[in-house]
Amino acid sequence: MTGYLNIILRLTIWFLLTADLSWANIVIGVGVTILLPRGVTNVGLLKDWLRTLGEVLVAIPQAYKEAFEIMLYPHREETVVLERVKPRRTPSLIFLDIFLITFTPKTIVQRYHNQGWYEVHYIQRRETP
Amino acid sequence: MTLVLIAMIGALLIPMVEALQDEDIWQRMLAFASIATKTSVMILVIAVLQDDWMIGVVGVLILSVGNAALMLLAHIIKRVDDAMEG
Amino acid sequence: MINILSYTCIILGLVFWYWGTWPLLGRRSVLYKLHGLSVADTLGSMAIVVGLLLRIPHEWPLLVLALISLAIWNTVLGYVLAYCVTDDVTHDAGQEVSHGG
Repeated sequence: MTGYLNIILRLTIWFLLTADLSWANIVIGVGVTILLPRGVTNVGLLKDWLRTLGEVLVAIPQAYKEAFEIMLYPHREETVVLERVKPRRTPSLIFLDIFLITFTPKTIVQRYHNQGWYEVHYIQRRETP
Repeated sequence: MTLVLIAMIGALLIPMVEALQDEDIWQRMLAFASIATKTSVMILVIAVLQDDWMIGVVGVLILSVGNAALMLLAHIIKRVDDAMEG
Repeated sequence: MINILSYTCIILGLVFWYWGTWPLLGRRSVLYKLHGLSVADTLGSMAIVVGLLLRIPHEWPLLVLALISLAIWNTVLGYVLAYCVTDDVTHDAGQEVSHGG
């Protein structure tokens, strides 16, 4: 995990753990975040980042919706589908994509192939014809 | 709130029974993952019930670092399996 | 009012817990049970924590951290378990696949 995700994660954990928004605390948090060692700073496009983080917010209500769907109607069939990774994805964006797919209850990523494919495991109501 | 806690203990029994009865290692890992999450959420509920937020801090810490051990264990089991097969 | 809302969230979470954990006892594949657990342990526990958050709003920073770590850890654990359970039967056998975590 590199770049933005790293910084966002560190700052979030810092502020939530300390729960203190005084100047000194903010300076310490930002300082430590920047000083902590990072991997290769291979930063993706900011636009892709904002879109993916937006999708994470949308994913939460959608996950609850899918949960109710599989509670009300039994989904008994299992299938495995290969899906293509969107182009221009950095490793941390791929991590977020996998997170998004696995977060919703109907789909789980089984495996990620280096050639740019996900193996996604679905459950469905009935077998697709 | 006490009733909620009793219901949670009831839910906790299901993965425990599963871990006892199933021989397959992955089904057991699944049950253990479930137990781990459920106990940490129960710690949080107890913290609110007792009105003692120090317990709650422990619960949050367990939630935020606890599952790492299970992930590492899963990888080790996978490696050992692969080594045994070939 | 807040109390009712909080109890609704907690009870919803408990229903999710029972519904998603029950299939563990059956004889389905690991992956099928994993779908149930993602309902129970991720969404159910998140609902319970939101219910607690409504009761003690002044402790929001730690509870929000609990929410975030619940979502991330359970999802990543689901992916890692799914990855470990399935055998690599496809074209790139033998090649180590990297997975972030």
